[in-house]
Amino acid sequence: MKPFLQNIILQTALALLIGFGLGLAYSWLISPVTYVDATPALLRTDFKDQYRIVIAASYSANQDMARARARLSLLGDTDPVGELSAQAQRMLANGEPFEKARPLAQLATDLQRGYVSEPFTPTPFPTFSTPQAQTSATAAADQPQVNEEATITPIPTVFFEQTPLSTPVTGETSTPRPTFTPTAGPGVPFILTSQDTLCQPAYSRLMQFMFMDARRVQKPGIEINVTWDQGEDKFFTGFKPDLGNGYADFMMEAGTVYNIRIVTGGAFVADITAPTCTDETGAEYPGGLLLTFQQP
Amino acid sequence: MSSSKIITLVIALVIGAGLGLFYGWAIAPVEYTDVTPDLLRQDYQVDFVLMTAEAYQNDFDSATAARRLALLGSEPPATFVTSTLEYASANNFTAEELRVLQALLTAMQTYQPDENPAP
Repeated sequence: MKPFLQNIILQTALALLIGFGLGLAYSWLISPVTYVDATPALLRTDFKDQYRIVIAASYSANQDMARARARLSLLGDTDPVGELSAQAQRMLANGEPFEKARPLAQLATDLQRGYVSEPFTPTPFPTFSTPQAQTSATAAADQPQVNEEATITPIPTVFFEQTPLSTPVTGETSTPRPTFTPTAGPGVPFILTSQDTLCQPAYSRLMQFMFMDARRVQKPGIEINVTWDQGEDKFFTGFKPDLGNGYADFMMEAGTVYNIRIVTGGAFVADITAPTCTDETGAEYPGGLLLTFQQP
Repeated sequence: MSSSKIITLVIALVIGAGLGLFYGWAIAPVEYTDVTPDLLRQDYQVDFVLMTAEAYQNDFDSATAARRLALLGSEPPATFVTSTLEYASANNFTAEELRVLQALLTAMQTYQPDENPAP
C-alpha cells in the first residue's frame, strides 16, 4: 500500500479522480444547470394536462384546428388524439363534470376526423359594469407600458355566410315545397335495437355500446350508468373517436350481472352478463357484447 | 511529502474538479423532465396566455382564466397579460389576438378572487 501511495503518477491520478468527483457533485447536486427556457414537452404530467385543457378550451373558442394541432405537438405526445381522449376519460373517472371534459373530447374527435364538427356560434360580449375610467387609471398606474384603452369592441354576431333567401314567386312556376320529415330530437329516449355476442378473444369481457340517432348518426356525450352488485361506473360516448363518436365500452367481470341505465335518453337494460364462448380447443371463455341503441 | 509533490497533487485536484464541472454542466447536465409552466420560454408563456384569452372569449369565466394564468407564477394574473400584450404588440400579433388579450386584461384588472365566494 505504501509504495502505491508513494508513486507520484498514481497519486496524481487519484487527485484527478477526487477533483473530478467533487466537480461533478457540485455541478449536479449543488449548482445544477437551471432551466429558464423550457419547452412544453418538459412540463410535469399534471401541467401537461392543464396545457391540453387550455388548448382545447381555446379551440372551442376559435375552431382553429391547425393551430390546436401545432400547440398539441409542442407537448411531444406520440399520440396527441389518444392523450386527449385518455385525459377526458380520466377527468370523468375523477368525477369532473362532462362539460369540463367535453372540449378535450371534441378536439380529439375533430382531429381524428380532420374537420370542425361543431359550428362556431360566437357568444355576445357581456356588459362590463366596472367604470372604464377607473379601470384605465388603475391600469395606467400599475402598468404604464400599456397604452391601449380597455375598451370593448363589438364583434359580429353572425359568423356564417347566410344563404340568401329566394325571392317569393307568385306565378304557377313555383316549385313544390319539400316534404318535412320529422326527426327525433335530443330528448327522445334511446331503444336497444340489437344485442350481439362477440366471440373473439380480443373482445373478451368487453361490453361495447353504440348510440345513434334516428338517422343513424352516431351520438357523442351520451351518459351511461352501469351498476352491479358491488358497484357502479359512469361514462360517456365519444371519448374514443377512433372507434366512433357514439362508441363507449366497459370491461365486465365473468359471472357478474349488470344493469345499464342510459342517463341521457332514459333507456334501461337489466341482467346483462358476459356471454360464454368456446375457442377452437373447446375451452370456454367470457365473450364480449355489442349493445346498439337508437332513437326512434 | 515534498512541496513539489503537494503542488502536483493540488494541480491534479483542480484539473480534476474542472473536468468534473465541465462534464456536469456542459456534457451531461442535469436533465429536467418535470418543469413547471413558469420555466417555459417566453414565447410559450405568451401562447399560453393567448390561449387563455381565446378561451375567455368563449366562456367569460374570469375565475377560470385567473386560475389558468396562476400556473405561470405567483404574480397577479393581469401582470402576465400585460407583458403578453407588450410582446404581442412588438411581434405583430393580429388585431384579433390583441383584442382578445385586451379583453382578458380588462377582466383580470377588475377580477376579485373573492367576488363570488362559495356558499
